[in-house]
Amino acid sequence: MGRYVIRRLLWTVLVVLLVTLLTFVVFYVMPPGNPAIRFAGKQPTPELIAQVEKQFGLDRSLPEQYAHFLRRLFLGDGTECPLYLRPACAIEPVEEFVVLETPGCATGVSGCGWPGLGMSFDSRTAVRQELIERTPRTLSLIVGAAVIWLLLGVSIGVLSALKRRTIWDRLAMGFALFGISAPVFWLGLVALWIFTVKLPFAESMGTGYVEFGTDPVGWFTHLILPWTVLALLYAAFYARMTRGNLIDTMGEDYIRTARAKGLPERRVIFKHGLRASLTPIVTMFGLDVALLVGGAVITETVFNIQGLGNYAVQSAVSADLPAMTGVVVIVAFAVAFMNLVVDIVYAYLDPRVRYS
Amino acid sequence: MRGKTIAALLLALSLLLALGAAGCGGDDDDGDGAATEQSEGVDEGAEPGGTFRTATDAFEWTGNFDPTGEYLATFFGLYQNLLGRTLMGYNHVPDAAGNEPVPDLAEAEPEISEDGLTYTFTIREGVMWGPPLDRQVTSQDVEYAFRRIATPALVAQYGFFYLGLIKGLQEYSDAGGLTEDPEGNEAIEGIQTPDERTIVFELEQPAGDFVNRIAMPAAGPVPEEVAQCFLTAGEYGRFVMSTGPYMVEGSENLDITSCDTMEALDGFNPNQRLILVRNPNYDPETDTTEARENFFDRFEMTLNTNAQDIFDQVRAGRLELAYASEPAEVVRDYSTDPELEDRYHINSGDRTWYITMNLTQPPFDDIHVRKAANWIMDKEGLRRAWGGEPKGLIAHHIVPDTMLNGVLEDFQPYASEGDAGNLEEAQNEMRQSKYDTDQDGICDAPQCKGVLHVTRTTEPWATMAPIIEESMAEIGIELNTRQFEDSYTIIQTVKREVPIASNAGWGKDYSDASTFMVLFDSRTILAEGNVNYSLVGLTPEQAQELGATGTIEGITSVDADIDACNELLDDERLECWADLDEKLMNEVVPWVPYLQGNADFVISDAVSKYVFDQSSGDPAWSHLAVDQDLQQ
Repeated sequence: MGRYVIRRLLWTVLVVLLVTLLTFVVFYVMPPGNPAIRFAGKQPTPELIAQVEKQFGLDRSLPEQYAHFLRRLFLGDGTECPLYLRPACAIEPVEEFVVLETPGCATGVSGCGWPGLGMSFDSRTAVRQELIERTPRTLSLIVGAAVIWLLLGVSIGVLSALKRRTIWDRLAMGFALFGISAPVFWLGLVALWIFTVKLPFAESMGTGYVEFGTDPVGWFTHLILPWTVLALLYAAFYARMTRGNLIDTMGEDYIRTARAKGLPERRVIFKHGLRASLTPIVTMFGLDVALLVGGAVITETVFNIQGLGNYAVQSAVSADLPAMTGVVVIVAFAVAFMNLVVDIVYAYLDPRVRYS
Repeated sequence: MRGKTIAALLLALSLLLALGAAGCGGDDDDGDGAATEQSEGVDEGAEPGGTFRTATDAFEWTGNFDPTGEYLATFFGLYQNLLGRTLMGYNHVPDAAGNEPVPDLAEAEPEISEDGLTYTFTIREGVMWGPPLDRQVTSQDVEYAFRRIATPALVAQYGFFYLGLIKGLQEYSDAGGLTEDPEGNEAIEGIQTPDERTIVFELEQPAGDFVNRIAMPAAGPVPEEVAQCFLTAGEYGRFVMSTGPYMVEGSENLDITSCDTMEALDGFNPNQRLILVRNPNYDPETDTTEARENFFDRFEMTLNTNAQDIFDQVRAGRLELAYASEPAEVVRDYSTDPELEDRYHINSGDRTWYITMNLTQPPFDDIHVRKAANWIMDKEGLRRAWGGEPKGLIAHHIVPDTMLNGVLEDFQPYASEGDAGNLEEAQNEMRQSKYDTDQDGICDAPQCKGVLHVTRTTEPWATMAPIIEESMAEIGIELNTRQFEDSYTIIQTVKREVPIASNAGWGKDYSDASTFMVLFDSRTILAEGNVNYSLVGLTPEQAQELGATGTIEGITSVDADIDACNELLDDERLECWADLDEKLMNEVVPWVPYLQGNADFVISDAVSKYVFDQSSGDPAWSHLAVDQDLQQ
């Protein structure tokens, strides 16, 4: 298993690099216009455009730009990092890509360092700093929603499977239909309207993100609505998936054998039935969580949670290329990493699966 | 029987739905028009104190809040009202009075030499930098601002207003500016500071709008002891020091011992917030209440990605003002609900929205086609797409009326009933065009089909597109509409040869029509980043150099008219610009202007004083006040 994990991690790095290459082609090579023009003012002169191109590194050839991106990613921001963003503990870089060497420095509170993701064209801040600030917001949203949708979805799915063709099954699948059909943006706006406009006492559930360290209660109350809204869609999917899988599994011979052996029904369902039917759920869960890292755009926008998804859209709209590629790197890594986690959990759930 | 019952039920349901639909939507044409009148503001007995809270759905800084680089109107309004004082400023009031430059940092209007080439300003005594600088503003601080403008690495986006005008500034820029002269020791011929309160500008040629240019934030003083550490575009924006009534929160904590010790000010994060607090060194005796009243103690502008939520919060009293584009339903609510009407303020935004036509590309290389386009366009339909009457007056010419003191208010060369288009006149014009081969008033040459039309992906342009297509189809021009996220870059690239585009709008840089006429100056035509989208005045030599094809001979130029107007002052200057506007609409016809855009803002009932700032097109932050008892 250890060798398998190491091999997968190496593949993860390769996958991330391939994704960055694809991203580079899509955003740097293919667009019809010169991104420097957008940042050179209302009436850009050729001199201003040239200056912006130089500052953004767009005056280099495309292969040089990509090579520069890779070097910076692996070696750190180096001299591109403005003075006020470098960690106070940093050693002054003497070459363009020297890694900041002071122990613990590169992961300090400063914006620049390693991995080097460059400077945002738009805000002239270190992309790394933006991502460090935004990632906890997105993770807070995803983790909370994931807990809710797993608990809710699996529970409803189990109930529905066990009470097939009863009113409980109908209600559960009706819920699933609603959850799948209702657009997230509509759900979010309606939820806000009900809880923050019509119910003034629920003002604490308003939009925006509150740092956990600043106000844990505020963090929680401001996330209840976005958690619920985001979780509803996935809970619906998971309920249907769990129901279908459990119905199939409960019809297997080994389940009949377990019952024949006199095992309690609860044990038959949860230890033997549910465990086997959860493997596709686990696969789906891993991918869903990973994709939400940069993909919870609508929820983040509706609830003003300025996370990675929102940053990705803002960056795409404003042609902020380093910001976009920075988000892509994070998301690609998250997807690849979660795939690995899912495979490991899969092996735990299903003893037939072994990695060598 | 059962079938008939079902049919009857369906019919009843359809009728109900139709009635319901008829009751929804609609425009403001049936309103009483109150919401479309220019707002006179609110004044309910302003008291000092409190926090003024506003939110925006996008900051969109163009230079990261660095005064040297910023051209965003949002920044202009905030900076000039609250943060920084320039030699000349504005009184931050509506209408023509708000567009008139007045002495701000300077103690009086400049002394101007007979030949109009020398401007001398004297700085008021007692105007201090906020903490941590705690010193008098000097003429050297103003000079340093111009050194920054002339430093290519700082990407001064309005640098062209000064380079080539102030003697020696272009040469200083060509030599690298502060990048090569970090101590600022190299003399600039056209800027002299004989003492700490006097600054003299010498110009290459007369410029009747030099005072307006001096009133721009880039020309405001910059402290060398801080800014010298930030010689890359946008960096100083995290450290802006104050000469105004407010300062960025955390300014007092800035350690200016060395460049290494400075950390970005807490109160400004370009992606999240701008928080201003009172500048303890600001002396109201050095200012006027006409310019600034400074009621609130604290100002907060935060980012909220949900625009609807911003308006909900204003209505709930949790914000005082919504700094975001109103969704159509908000415009409808506030302009029709008697309880909300007085919280909706509309003023002229000194901005024109228009459809641009490329003079080199068929069929728009024919003036008769361009005139026909003006006749046929359903401008009222386009305004409805924007949200109706509150969004502005129908535009009939280039420069907004407020900037010409109403001189061209009655000039409507292509007027039509209800501004819905005049087919008869359009066809009369089209008959004179070479593209109407059978002279039936319909464009029928092959060049009339599949004409590329560029626009934006967002509203209201997406809704406008079919209206434009329908209008043009009436005179036989079939448009092939393409929507782009980055539509400006497309039309700014000459080689793309876009025949017609509806994504464009233009607002003043300062209140002088020259800032609009630059759009028709052939000397500003560039291969990329071009703003003379119509290519007015393009010469065959330029066309060859830029790779432009199509009709490149005989394109009318107005360069001489622009130069002539630029040398004039006051009323003569205004009349000259008005004449040029008429000439453009009658003899060149590069645009179909359709909307003189308003600036409209929604406030809460906790705002006890609201005034519009004509100079920036934004709320006059320096005159706003809150009633703390009404805040939530």
